[in-house]
Amino acid sequence: MAQFVLRRFLYALLLLVIASVLIFYGLRVAPGDIVTAIASPTQALVIKSTLTKQLGLDRPLAVQYFVFIGHVLQGNPGVSVVSGAPISTIIRESGLRTLELGLSAAFLTYALAIPLGVLAAWKRNSVLDQGLRFFTVLGMGVPNFFLAVILIQVLAVNHHWLPVAGPGGIRHLILPAVVLSVEAIALNLRLMRSSLLEELSNDYIRTLRAKGITNRRVICVHALRNALTPVIALAGVILPTLLGYTLIVETVFRYEGLGFQLVQAITHRDYALAQTLALLLTAVVILCNFLADVGHHLIDPRVREGSRG
Amino acid sequence: MAIPEPTAFVDVGAESDERPLRDAFALLLANRVAFLGGLLTIAFLGVGVLGAVILATPGLQHLYLDQDFSATLAHPGHAGHLLGTDQYGRDLLWRTVAGTGISLLVGVAATSATLVLGLTLGCIAGYFGGIIDRLVSGLIDLTWGFPLLLVAVIYAGMLEPGITAVVLAIGTVVWAGFARIVRAQVRSLREREFIEAARALGTPAPKIILRHLVPNVMGTVLVMASYYVAIAVITEAGFSFIGLGAQPPTPSLGQMIADGRNYFSVSIWPATVPGVMIALIVLALNSLGDGLRDIFDPRLRRF
Repeated sequence: MAQFVLRRFLYALLLLVIASVLIFYGLRVAPGDIVTAIASPTQALVIKSTLTKQLGLDRPLAVQYFVFIGHVLQGNPGVSVVSGAPISTIIRESGLRTLELGLSAAFLTYALAIPLGVLAAWKRNSVLDQGLRFFTVLGMGVPNFFLAVILIQVLAVNHHWLPVAGPGGIRHLILPAVVLSVEAIALNLRLMRSSLLEELSNDYIRTLRAKGITNRRVICVHALRNALTPVIALAGVILPTLLGYTLIVETVFRYEGLGFQLVQAITHRDYALAQTLALLLTAVVILCNFLADVGHHLIDPRVREGSRG
Repeated sequence: MAIPEPTAFVDVGAESDERPLRDAFALLLANRVAFLGGLLTIAFLGVGVLGAVILATPGLQHLYLDQDFSATLAHPGHAGHLLGTDQYGRDLLWRTVAGTGISLLVGVAATSATLVLGLTLGCIAGYFGGIIDRLVSGLIDLTWGFPLLLVAVIYAGMLEPGITAVVLAIGTVVWAGFARIVRAQVRSLREREFIEAARALGTPAPKIILRHLVPNVMGTVLVMASYYVAIAVITEAGFSFIGLGAQPPTPSLGQMIADGRNYFSVSIWPATVPGVMIALIVLALNSLGDGLRDIFDPRLRRF
């Protein structure tokens, strides 16, 4: 077990190093350099050389890479070239917002999907089950940004029940969190339902029933525990996907989190900020995948036995 | 001793392959949701091809570019605009058709890249095993599980904003999931008698892979292809929605929603028409994929 975790951890580190090199070089060879972007054509000739020197752009790329990584590791990745704000401040403030949004969405997802999935399996083919199935089909088909546009119009513009956009208190969090989690709820609900139904068809369930254990106890205690395994395994995919969706959802709601900042930085060619944010988000994804791997290993004995691959 | 011709094995395989296909079609007809999904998918392909033709033909581009200033944000049916117009008085029906063309192009390009990469590497890893398998599996783990949008946005920073970034992102991320599935299937197929027979007859590895393994994973290819096109369509739309995908005046469904939302209080149509279109495309492809999966390989059932 310890060996497995260590191997996966080293692998994650290697992945992070490769990703950082790719992101750094990729964004450096990008068309449209920052100096021409921030200096106006008339200033360009005079300012260009000074700026180039100031930003260290005249040094070899490999040196620039290590300078960049060094600064990031010291927690001082520089300033945003467009807004002038220190990148560490941007990350701290936006990171908290994204964390708030992501955790709310993850909470909504599991708090709704698991009970509803159990209910759908329990009352199989009832009106409730049919209704939930309709919801899952819609939830997986309607793009979340279109849903966001409609919800903003109906709930915020027409009825003023919720704020239109922007970061703020809990009321500002409701719409983005709901939009962010709809697809994940649909996916998990469907998975929970089918997994529980499959579990209920096993022999040991019949034995339990024969022993006179109530249906409620069979489902909620015995079957549910085993049926949760695929749902937990899927979490390793769901969390990075949610993180990817924050780029869209935060942009729609002008919710100034990391995703919003990254999209803005890319749009405005603010590479210092873009590469730091891209690296940070990539690191989060790698961490999520690592934790998912370890978690999967812990809960599923069949994986632990070494049947991987 | 007459050694049976290798072709004999191939013929037997080909013959028994035919019937499942016919059965599969009958099953598809029987599964009503999947059948409806199939019909809608054909409609999507038709509209998409029409849109691509319009986009590529300079003489036809006026259909979605012409501005009718006497009828901006018109409701459906007004002044010959079947689905109304946007804020510049451009015809929504034709813009949606052209946008569907972009969706189809991205879907086909990204899915082909995904399938070719995933099938090739999955087959090679699964068939040869050993160090090759370890290398490919490492590569799979390397790219698997990255959020498409994050990768696409980073690509957009490296290149110019545009749909190339989406296609590249899907090509670099999604293939890994597919290669994983193919690899697992090939590993179990490899132990079957007909592969052993082919090997015993001295059939070279490339031929075994192409003639015996690939046909046996085609069902999976079809199932996953419909899911991947859906993923590509929705990712491109989201990417264009945040302004990093197709650049104006090229109409993309996502970008039309982004434009249309600013005029939502005046007319709901400019945002709703492309939104419903995306939802229909994705629903169609998903139900077709579900139907095909139930027919070809119920073990692929993930959810």
